[in-house]
Amino acid sequence: MQTSARPHLRSSKGRWILVSFGLFVLAALWWAFRPEKLWTSRKVRESAPFGSSGDPQLILTGRFESKALQTNGRASIYKEPGGREYLHLNDFGTGSVPDVHILLARSDEPKMTRGGLQGDVDHIDLGPLKDDQSDQRYDLPAAIDLGKYHVAVIYSEQSHAVVGSAQLEAF
Amino acid sequence: MFRRIRTGTAPVMLLSLMLFGQARAQEKAEVLFTGTFHGKLHNTSGRATIYKEASGDLLLRLTNFKTSNGPDVHVLLIAAKDADDDANFLKSSTERIELGVLKGNEGDQNYALPSGTDLKKFQTVSIYCERFNANFGSAPLEKF
Repeated sequence: MQTSARPHLRSSKGRWILVSFGLFVLAALWWAFRPEKLWTSRKVRESAPFGSSGDPQLILTGRFESKALQTNGRASIYKEPGGREYLHLNDFGTGSVPDVHILLARSDEPKMTRGGLQGDVDHIDLGPLKDDQSDQRYDLPAAIDLGKYHVAVIYSEQSHAVVGSAQLEAF
Repeated sequence: MFRRIRTGTAPVMLLSLMLFGQARAQEKAEVLFTGTFHGKLHNTSGRATIYKEASGDLLLRLTNFKTSNGPDVHVLLIAAKDADDDANFLKSSTERIELGVLKGNEGDQNYALPSGTDLKKFQTVSIYCERFNANFGSAPLEKF
C-alpha cells in the first residue's frame, strides 16, 4: 500500500512544482514584454501650464536650409485671434541678391529640389523680400491651403534660383 | 461662530484659488528650442518643444505626440545632435538627463527640466525603453 501511494504523491507534488514554476515563468515573461501593450494605448492630454489666449498662435514652423546661397533662420506661420495668418522670419539671414521674392511653394514640387524654379511652378508669391538680415513679417492671402503650400522659399526672380528654403511643419 | 467663519472663508478661498489659477494661466512662456520626432523601429511622431516659463523654469512639452506603447519607457535628454542610429547613444557613454517615465504613448504632455540644464549640450529628446535598451524615437532640437 505504502509503496503504491508514494509515487502517486510524489508525482502530484512534482506536477504542482511544475505548474507553479510554469506560472512564474509566464508572469516573468509578461512583466518583461507586456504584450497587452501592443493593443492598448495610454492617452494623456496635459494642457500647457502657461497661457496663449489673445496671442497669435504658432501653427507651422521650420528652419531655412541653404540652396543657392547661405541661408539661415526660422520661418513660422502664425494665426491671429481674428483669423488672419502671417509668415514671420526670425534669426534670419541670406545672401544679398537683387530681385528676391519670398514664396510659399508645394513640398512635392520636383523643381524645388533641383534648386531652380523655371517654368510654371505652383506657388504663392508673398512679395519682394523686405530685408536679407532681419526679422520680418508677411501677411498671407486669405484662405490659402497651408496643407499644400508649406515650404517657404527665398527665390531670385532674376536668376531663377532658389536661394534657400524652409520646410514648415505643424507646431 | 466657528461654523460661520468656515462658511465665510470657503468661497473666498475658492475665489482666490480660481484667480491664482487664472493668473498662472496668463503667464507667458518663451519657446527656446523645438523639433519633430522620428522613429525607425517604433513609429514615433509629434513635436518636442522646450519653453522657458516666466518663472525661469524650463519645460519640455510634447504635442501631437504618438509612439508605441511599451514597458518602462522613459523620456531622456541626450548630449548628441540626434539619436538616429542606436549605436550613437545606446552603446556609448553618451550623457543623458532623465526626465521621468513617459506619461502616455499618445497625447500632449509636459516634463520639467532640472534647473541649469545646458541645452547647448543636450540637444536631443529620446523616448527610451529602459528594459530593452531601445530608442523608440528621437527629436533633435533646433533653436527657435
